[in-house]
Amino acid sequence: MGKDTSKQDNQDQNNQSSLVQKIQQLGQSTVPQAPDSNIHVLPIIGQIEGHVQLPPQNKTTKYEHLIPQIVAIEQNPKIEGLIVLLNTVGGDVEAGLALSEMIASLSKPTVSIVLGGGHSIGVPIAVSTDYSFIVPTATMTIHPIRLTGLVIGVPQTFEYLDKMQERVINFVKQHSDIEEEKFKDLMFAKGNLTRDIGTNVVGADAVKYGLIDDVGGVMEAMSKLNDLIEKEKQSGEMLQ
Amino acid sequence: MILYTPLTEYEIFGVDQNAFANRQFININGRTVHVERNNDGSFSILQLISTDPQDFLDETYAPGTIISGH
Repeated sequence: MGKDTSKQDNQDQNNQSSLVQKIQQLGQSTVPQAPDSNIHVLPIIGQIEGHVQLPPQNKTTKYEHLIPQIVAIEQNPKIEGLIVLLNTVGGDVEAGLALSEMIASLSKPTVSIVLGGGHSIGVPIAVSTDYSFIVPTATMTIHPIRLTGLVIGVPQTFEYLDKMQERVINFVKQHSDIEEEKFKDLMFAKGNLTRDIGTNVVGADAVKYGLIDDVGGVMEAMSKLNDLIEKEKQSGEMLQ
Repeated sequence: MILYTPLTEYEIFGVDQNAFANRQFININGRTVHVERNNDGSFSILQLISTDPQDFLDETYAPGTIISGH
Protein backbone atom coordinates (compact mmCIF):
# COMPACT_ATOMS: atom_id res chain seq x y z
CA MET A 1 0.00 0.00 0.00
CA GLY A 2 2.77 2.38 1.06
CA LYS A 3 4.76 1.41 -1.99
CA ASP A 4 1.76 2.15 -4.22
CA THR A 5 1.25 5.62 -2.75
CA SER A 6 4.89 6.56 -3.23
CA LYS A 7 4.74 5.30 -6.81
CA GLN A 8 1.60 7.36 -7.37
CA ASP A 9 3.29 10.40 -5.80
CA ASN A 10 6.27 9.96 -8.04
CA GLN A 11 4.07 9.81 -11.12
CA ASP A 12 2.13 12.87 -10.01
CA GLN A 13 5.39 14.73 -9.61
CA ASN A 14 6.54 13.67 -13.06
CA ASN A 15 3.27 14.78 -14.61
CA GLN A 16 3.48 18.07 -12.80
CA SER A 17 7.06 18.79 -13.85
CA SER A 18 6.27 18.03 -17.50
CA LEU A 19 3.25 20.32 -17.21
CA VAL A 20 5.37 23.12 -15.72
CA GLN A 21 7.93 22.60 -18.48
CA LYS A 22 5.27 22.88 -21.14
CA ILE A 23 3.78 26.03 -19.65
CA GLN A 24 7.25 27.58 -19.39
CA GLN A 25 8.22 26.76 -22.94
CA LEU A 26 5.00 27.05 -24.89
CA GLY A 27 2.81 29.17 -22.62
CA GLN A 28 0.07 26.55 -22.70
CA SER A 29 -0.75 23.29 -20.98
CA THR A 30 -2.00 21.04 -23.77
CA VAL A 31 -1.00 20.87 -27.37
CA PRO A 32 -3.66 19.71 -29.85
CA GLN A 33 -3.07 16.39 -31.62
CA ALA A 34 -3.97 15.92 -35.26
CA PRO A 35 -3.80 13.18 -37.92
CA ASP A 36 -0.89 12.79 -40.37
CA SER A 37 -0.47 15.70 -42.72
CA ASN A 38 -0.18 15.39 -46.50
CA ILE A 39 1.37 18.86 -46.56
CA HIS A 40 4.84 19.46 -45.22
CA VAL A 41 6.32 22.76 -44.11
CA LEU A 42 9.84 23.96 -44.82
CA PRO A 43 10.69 26.90 -42.56
CA ILE A 44 13.56 29.09 -43.71
CA ILE A 45 14.37 31.43 -40.85
CA GLY A 46 17.23 33.71 -39.85
CA GLN A 47 20.38 33.71 -41.96
CA ILE A 48 20.91 31.17 -44.70
CA GLU A 49 24.08 29.40 -43.71
CA GLY A 50 26.19 27.96 -46.48
CA HIS A 51 29.89 27.23 -46.82
CA VAL A 52 30.93 29.15 -43.71
CA GLN A 53 29.71 28.35 -40.22
CA LEU A 54 28.29 31.53 -38.71
CA PRO A 55 28.97 32.57 -35.09
CA PRO A 56 26.56 30.79 -32.73
CA GLN A 57 24.59 33.87 -31.68
CA ASN A 58 23.13 34.05 -35.21
CA LYS A 59 19.88 32.29 -35.88
CA THR A 60 20.51 30.31 -39.03
CA THR A 61 18.97 27.84 -41.42
CA LYS A 62 21.60 25.37 -42.54
CA TYR A 63 21.23 24.22 -46.12
CA GLU A 64 22.71 20.81 -45.35
CA HIS A 65 19.69 20.29 -43.08
CA LEU A 66 17.14 21.37 -45.67
CA ILE A 67 18.39 19.71 -48.85
CA PRO A 68 17.96 16.11 -47.56
CA GLN A 69 14.50 17.11 -46.31
CA ILE A 70 13.55 18.33 -49.80
CA VAL A 71 14.74 15.02 -51.26
CA ALA A 72 12.69 13.15 -48.63
CA ILE A 73 9.62 15.21 -49.55
CA GLU A 74 10.05 14.34 -53.23
CA GLN A 75 10.46 10.67 -52.39
CA ASN A 76 7.65 10.20 -49.84
CA PRO A 77 4.38 9.34 -51.65
CA LYS A 78 2.33 10.41 -48.60
CA ILE A 79 3.48 14.01 -48.98
CA GLU A 80 1.42 15.78 -51.62
CA GLY A 81 2.47 19.39 -51.20
CA LEU A 82 5.00 21.72 -49.60
CA ILE A 83 4.65 25.11 -47.96
CA VAL A 84 7.83 27.17 -47.67
CA LEU A 85 7.74 29.67 -44.80
CA LEU A 86 10.22 32.47 -45.26
CA ASN A 87 11.46 34.94 -42.71
CA THR A 88 15.06 35.47 -43.63
CA VAL A 89 17.57 38.29 -43.79
CA GLY A 90 19.43 36.58 -46.62
CA GLY A 91 22.79 34.88 -46.45
CA ASP A 92 25.05 32.70 -48.58
CA VAL A 93 24.28 33.20 -52.29
CA GLU A 94 25.19 29.69 -53.37
CA ALA A 95 23.34 28.02 -50.49
CA GLY A 96 20.29 30.17 -51.25
CA LEU A 97 20.42 29.38 -54.96
CA ALA A 98 20.87 25.69 -54.15
CA LEU A 99 17.72 25.73 -52.02
CA SER A 100 15.84 27.69 -54.68
CA GLU A 101 16.77 25.20 -57.40
CA MET A 102 15.85 22.25 -55.17
CA ILE A 103 12.42 23.72 -54.44
CA ALA A 104 11.86 24.74 -58.07
CA SER A 105 12.66 21.23 -59.29
CA LEU A 106 10.27 19.45 -56.90
CA SER A 107 7.57 17.57 -58.83
CA LYS A 108 5.00 18.21 -56.07
CA PRO A 109 2.98 21.42 -55.77
CA THR A 110 4.74 24.10 -53.71
CA VAL A 111 3.58 27.40 -52.22
CA SER A 112 5.65 29.97 -50.33
CA ILE A 113 4.65 32.58 -47.78
CA VAL A 114 6.92 35.54 -47.06
CA LEU A 115 6.42 36.53 -43.42
CA GLY A 116 8.22 39.43 -41.81
CA GLY A 117 11.03 39.59 -44.31
CA GLY A 118 12.36 37.73 -47.32
CA HIS A 119 15.44 39.78 -48.03
CA SER A 120 18.29 39.45 -50.52
CA ILE A 121 18.77 35.72 -51.28
CA GLY A 122 15.31 35.16 -49.75
CA VAL A 123 13.89 36.64 -52.98
CA PRO A 124 14.90 33.73 -55.28
CA ILE A 125 13.71 31.25 -52.64
CA ALA A 126 10.32 33.01 -52.42
CA VAL A 127 9.80 32.89 -56.19
CA SER A 128 11.08 29.31 -56.60
CA THR A 129 7.71 27.80 -55.63
CA ASP A 130 4.76 27.21 -58.00
CA TYR A 131 2.83 30.02 -56.31
CA SER A 132 4.05 32.66 -53.87
CA PHE A 133 2.32 34.71 -51.21
CA ILE A 134 3.44 37.66 -49.15
CA VAL A 135 1.68 38.90 -46.01
CA PRO A 136 0.79 42.62 -46.18
CA THR A 137 3.38 43.63 -43.56
CA ALA A 138 6.28 41.60 -44.95
CA THR A 139 9.12 43.25 -46.84
CA MET A 140 11.70 42.11 -49.34
CA THR A 141 14.94 44.01 -49.76
CA ILE A 142 16.33 43.80 -53.26
CA HIS A 143 19.92 44.95 -53.47
CA PRO A 144 23.21 44.08 -55.21
CA ILE A 145 25.13 41.14 -53.73
CA ARG A 146 28.21 41.75 -51.60
CA LEU A 147 31.49 40.03 -51.05
CA THR A 148 33.18 39.67 -47.69
CA GLY A 149 36.68 38.48 -46.83
CA LEU A 150 39.77 38.79 -48.97
CA VAL A 151 39.09 40.73 -52.15
CA ILE A 152 41.80 40.82 -54.81
CA GLY A 153 41.88 44.20 -56.52
CA VAL A 154 41.69 43.03 -60.11
CA PRO A 155 38.96 43.50 -62.76
CA GLN A 156 38.24 39.75 -62.58
CA THR A 157 36.85 40.23 -59.06
CA PHE A 158 34.22 42.54 -60.43
CA GLU A 159 33.42 40.15 -63.26
CA TYR A 160 33.04 37.30 -60.78
CA LEU A 161 30.67 39.40 -58.66
CA ASP A 162 28.75 40.46 -61.76
CA LYS A 163 28.33 36.83 -62.86
CA MET A 164 27.04 35.86 -59.43
CA GLN A 165 24.60 38.76 -59.57
CA GLU A 166 23.47 37.61 -63.00
CA ARG A 167 22.69 34.12 -61.64
CA VAL A 168 20.37 35.63 -59.01
CA ILE A 169 18.68 37.94 -61.54
CA ASN A 170 18.19 35.13 -64.06
CA PHE A 171 16.64 32.83 -61.49
CA VAL A 172 14.19 35.49 -60.30
CA LYS A 173 13.33 36.44 -63.89
CA GLN A 174 12.63 32.82 -64.84
CA HIS A 175 10.52 32.00 -61.80
CA SER A 176 8.44 35.17 -61.38
CA ASP A 177 6.53 37.62 -63.55
CA ILE A 178 8.87 40.54 -62.93
CA GLU A 179 10.63 42.09 -65.93
CA GLU A 180 14.42 41.99 -65.84
CA GLU A 181 14.57 45.75 -66.33
CA LYS A 182 12.21 46.39 -63.41
CA PHE A 183 14.12 44.04 -61.13
CA LYS A 184 17.41 45.73 -62.00
CA ASP A 185 15.83 49.16 -61.45
CA LEU A 186 14.78 48.09 -57.95
CA MET A 187 18.15 46.52 -57.28
CA PHE A 188 20.21 49.55 -58.25
CA ALA A 189 17.86 52.27 -56.98
CA LYS A 190 19.42 55.05 -54.94
CA GLY A 191 17.97 56.89 -51.97
CA ASN A 192 15.62 54.15 -50.75
CA LEU A 193 17.89 52.37 -48.31
CA THR A 194 20.01 54.18 -45.77
CA ARG A 195 23.67 53.94 -46.74
CA ASP A 196 22.98 51.35 -49.42
CA ILE A 197 21.74 50.81 -52.95
CA GLY A 198 18.50 48.92 -53.51
CA THR A 199 14.80 48.95 -52.65
CA ASN A 200 12.74 47.69 -49.76
CA VAL A 201 9.57 46.28 -51.34
CA VAL A 202 6.58 45.95 -49.00
CA GLY A 203 3.73 43.38 -49.29
CA ALA A 204 1.35 44.60 -51.97
CA ASP A 205 4.17 46.34 -53.92
CA ALA A 206 5.93 43.00 -54.42
CA VAL A 207 2.72 41.74 -56.05
CA LYS A 208 2.39 44.94 -58.13
CA TYR A 209 5.92 44.47 -59.54
CA GLY A 210 5.13 40.85 -60.43
CA LEU A 211 7.72 39.48 -58.04
CA ILE A 212 5.21 37.66 -55.84
CA ASP A 213 1.92 36.17 -57.08
CA ASP A 214 -0.49 37.30 -54.37
CA VAL A 215 -0.96 38.95 -50.99
CA GLY A 216 -2.09 36.46 -48.36
CA GLY A 217 -1.30 34.37 -45.32
CA VAL A 218 -1.85 30.82 -44.09
CA MET A 219 -5.45 30.50 -45.25
CA GLU A 220 -4.76 31.65 -48.82
CA ALA A 221 -1.61 29.55 -49.04
CA MET A 222 -3.35 26.40 -47.79
CA SER A 223 -6.32 26.75 -50.12
CA LYS A 224 -4.02 27.48 -53.10
CA LEU A 225 -1.88 24.46 -52.26
CA ASN A 226 -4.95 22.25 -51.94
CA ASP A 227 -6.13 23.53 -55.35
CA LEU A 228 -2.76 22.72 -56.89
CA ILE A 229 -2.76 19.24 -55.30
CA GLU A 230 -6.25 18.63 -56.67
CA LYS A 231 -5.17 19.71 -60.17
CA GLU A 232 -2.08 17.50 -59.95
CA LYS A 233 -4.27 14.52 -59.02
CA GLN A 234 -6.66 15.18 -61.90
CA SER A 235 -3.89 15.45 -64.46
CA GLY A 236 -2.37 12.24 -63.05
CA GLU A 237 -5.69 10.46 -63.56
CA MET A 238 -5.98 11.74 -67.13
CA LEU A 239 -2.52 10.38 -67.95
CA GLN A 240 -3.58 6.94 -66.75
CA MET B 1 29.86 51.89 -16.11
CA ILE B 2 27.65 53.80 -18.53
CA LEU B 3 28.46 53.73 -22.23
CA TYR B 4 27.22 56.27 -24.76
CA THR B 5 28.07 54.96 -28.20
CA PRO B 6 26.46 54.01 -31.50
CA LEU B 7 28.24 50.64 -31.34
CA THR B 8 26.34 47.57 -30.24
CA GLU B 9 27.10 45.76 -27.02
CA TYR B 10 28.65 42.89 -29.01
CA GLU B 11 31.04 45.16 -30.85
CA ILE B 12 32.47 46.35 -27.53
CA PHE B 13 32.39 43.27 -25.35
CA GLY B 14 32.33 40.55 -27.99
CA VAL B 15 30.44 37.31 -27.63
CA ASP B 16 31.50 34.54 -25.31
CA GLN B 17 32.14 31.70 -27.76
CA ASN B 18 31.85 29.12 -24.98
CA ALA B 19 28.33 30.22 -24.15
CA PHE B 20 27.05 28.02 -26.97
CA ALA B 21 29.62 25.24 -26.69
CA ASN B 22 27.12 22.88 -25.02
CA ARG B 23 24.72 23.03 -27.97
CA GLN B 24 24.60 20.35 -30.63
CA PHE B 25 22.39 18.66 -33.20
CA ILE B 26 21.31 15.11 -32.38
CA ASN B 27 19.00 12.59 -33.98
CA ILE B 28 15.95 11.32 -32.10
CA ASN B 29 13.78 8.73 -33.87
CA GLY B 30 15.07 9.94 -37.23
CA ARG B 31 14.34 13.59 -36.53
CA THR B 32 17.06 16.18 -36.24
CA VAL B 33 16.85 18.10 -32.98
CA HIS B 34 18.95 21.01 -31.74
CA VAL B 35 19.70 20.39 -28.06
CA GLU B 36 21.57 21.93 -25.16
CA ARG B 37 23.44 19.76 -22.67
CA ASN B 38 22.40 20.40 -19.08
CA ASN B 39 24.73 20.23 -16.09
CA ASP B 40 23.42 16.81 -15.08
CA GLY B 41 24.25 15.30 -18.50
CA SER B 42 20.70 15.34 -19.82
CA PHE B 43 19.66 17.36 -22.89
CA SER B 44 17.00 20.06 -23.27
CA ILE B 45 15.39 20.44 -26.68
CA LEU B 46 15.88 23.90 -28.20
CA GLN B 47 14.56 23.39 -31.71
CA LEU B 48 13.13 20.66 -33.88
CA ILE B 49 14.23 20.52 -37.51
CA SER B 50 11.44 18.81 -39.42
CA THR B 51 9.14 19.47 -42.34
CA ASP B 52 6.25 17.45 -40.91
CA PRO B 53 3.94 19.94 -39.18
CA GLN B 54 2.58 17.13 -36.98
CA ASP B 55 6.02 16.62 -35.44
CA PHE B 56 5.65 20.06 -33.93
CA LEU B 57 2.52 18.89 -32.11
CA ASP B 58 4.33 15.85 -30.73
CA GLU B 59 5.20 16.56 -27.11
CA THR B 60 8.32 14.41 -27.40
CA TYR B 61 9.96 17.13 -29.48
CA ALA B 62 8.47 20.19 -27.77
CA PRO B 63 11.04 22.87 -26.92
CA GLY B 64 12.17 22.51 -23.30
CA THR B 65 11.54 18.77 -23.11
CA ILE B 66 14.34 17.10 -21.23
CA ILE B 67 15.80 13.93 -22.65
CA SER B 68 18.08 11.76 -20.55
CA GLY B 69 21.71 11.40 -21.62
CA HIS B 70 23.04 8.31 -23.36
